[in-house]
Amino acid sequence: MTAAFELRGLTAAVPGEKGAVRLVEDVSLSVRAGETLAVVGESGSGKTVTFTSALGLLPKPGRVIAGQALLEGEDLLALPPEQLRRRRGARIGMVFQDPLTGLNPVFTVGEQIAEVLRAHLPISRREARDRAAALLGRVQIPDAARRVDDYPHQFSGGMRQRVLIAMAIALGPRVLIADEPTTALDVTVQAQVLDLLGDLRASEGMGMVLITHDLGVVARQADRVAVMYAGRVVETGTVEEVFRAPRHPYTISLFRSIPEIDAPAGTMLAPIAGSPPDPARRPPGCAFAPRCFAVSDAHGCRSVRPDLIGAGHFAACHRQGAIEVAA
Amino acid sequence: MSATAEQIDADAEAAARRRATFRRYTRHPGFMIGAIGIALLVLVALLAPWIAPHSPTRTDLMNNLAPPSATFWLGTDQFGRCVASRLIHGAQVSLQVGFFVVLISLSLGTVIGAVAGYAGGWVERALVAVIDILLAFPSFLLALALVAARGNTLDSIILAVAIAYTPRIAAVMRSVVLTIRPRPFIEASRAIGLTPWKIVLRHVIPNALPPVIVVATVSAATAILAEAGLSFLGLGVQPPTPTWGNVIAEGQTSITSNPLISLSAGLCIAYTVVVLNLLGDGLRDTLDPQMRRNTGKLL
Repeated sequence: MTAAFELRGLTAAVPGEKGAVRLVEDVSLSVRAGETLAVVGESGSGKTVTFTSALGLLPKPGRVIAGQALLEGEDLLALPPEQLRRRRGARIGMVFQDPLTGLNPVFTVGEQIAEVLRAHLPISRREARDRAAALLGRVQIPDAARRVDDYPHQFSGGMRQRVLIAMAIALGPRVLIADEPTTALDVTVQAQVLDLLGDLRASEGMGMVLITHDLGVVARQADRVAVMYAGRVVETGTVEEVFRAPRHPYTISLFRSIPEIDAPAGTMLAPIAGSPPDPARRPPGCAFAPRCFAVSDAHGCRSVRPDLIGAGHFAACHRQGAIEVAA
Repeated sequence: MSATAEQIDADAEAAARRRATFRRYTRHPGFMIGAIGIALLVLVALLAPWIAPHSPTRTDLMNNLAPPSATFWLGTDQFGRCVASRLIHGAQVSLQVGFFVVLISLSLGTVIGAVAGYAGGWVERALVAVIDILLAFPSFLLALALVAARGNTLDSIILAVAIAYTPRIAAVMRSVVLTIRPRPFIEASRAIGLTPWKIVLRHVIPNALPPVIVVATVSAATAILAEAGLSFLGLGVQPPTPTWGNVIAEGQTSITSNPLISLSAGLCIAYTVVVLNLLGDGLRDTLDPQMRRNTGKLL
């Protein structure tokens, strides 16, 4: 089965003092129809930049300098801007992190959903409004027919996120990219929104990319996972493979830094020392080497950049065989 | 049929919504005073031929510089013309200038400023350079030069003042747009595939309007002042056409003996400026859905 959405060697950069600074480098990912791919990594690892650049939404002066973004086989990055605009919202949707400011405060939610429809379909105002009300119902807004004329500030955070989801799925996109859709929400609301996304993905047969830094969300929602660090994918595989037997020291460290409810009292968490490298000054070799518990000069960790290797389950680490024991 | 019932329901709700919007405006005292004040002025201007007790241009040299009386409410000027009638007719010119200057400079300035702020890059640099050059040039002097070049008909005065005021609106607009551009709903509207023009017209401009409308109403007031200033300098609408500026200028010759002539014209201008400012503040408070809980304070 071909991928609904696939990135091949995507590299995006901003101009810096000493040449281009690569924000994301050689990112390859794919998501099939009806599947959820979780992209995890800490802030600044390039999760969001990867997908905004794939949709041509990277703010200036950033730009994509290499790679392809294939939506059902068609390279979005090779399309003229007008053609790319027509794909956005219609065949590929995106939900952003902050629902509180993601809606225009001066229009009703119904008008904003109708706007997506009218931007892509030749339908009347009245018809667009009716369909907007139906979409609000689909994202489980109670009393949708009435609330369609309410303003965003009359909605709670979770409901606004539902509205944004309704906008993103309005035209039945093949792929939905959800960028930390629940980060700004209460825990109970998070679960509802995630369930809603899962239901929509299943009923629409969409491919879904779930960008998150919450490993709990990954375990619950995703089929496959890609771990990003310093602008690169460092490990990817099915959720089961990666959670059972993480191969990259960064992934292993991530799991170690999660509190466990049944751990003995007094057990200390193991945070990852240091912070991710500045994109302009990434170390040669493996970008994680300065923070890695398994770093070894003998294996070239500080001098040779590791490739993603493996079959099905890939990791970019020189020492993946050895550290499984250590972990 | 259930669809009909729902339809009636929806219509009833839309009507309730309209009533709520209306109440929001009527409960704002500043807005109401401003709106009623402007409405009165418009009424006076429209009905000038019927309200004015005398012809604004008929001279009577036997009865010049007369003090206020029952026939001549504000007395007569040095040519014996009825000052009150001249002020009433002058409202027509002042209101036309105020209205059309705002209409032109607001339309041009809003679009230029929004495009500059939203587009960024060389488009922004080029537009900002033009705006800054025009701003650095005293706007009254610019209007003066334009009137001198094009002749002093009412049309050319309106155009000149509008061109002189456009960069102010554009500069305010651009600075507001710069604060709106990074807001997430702009990114979201790009992600749903809206065209850049649609984003500017539907999302950028409506959110930037409240402060710009305040500037625009103040501009209406200063445009009326500018027309008065041009008339005062003899470059406005030519006498004997009555304008408030002309009345001040002509009253100047007898200002020591009959200060009421210039003073009353000045008060007309001051009144207009105040009601326009009240209207502007009222609009700012009521336009933004998030500011709908208005405090009801006058100032």
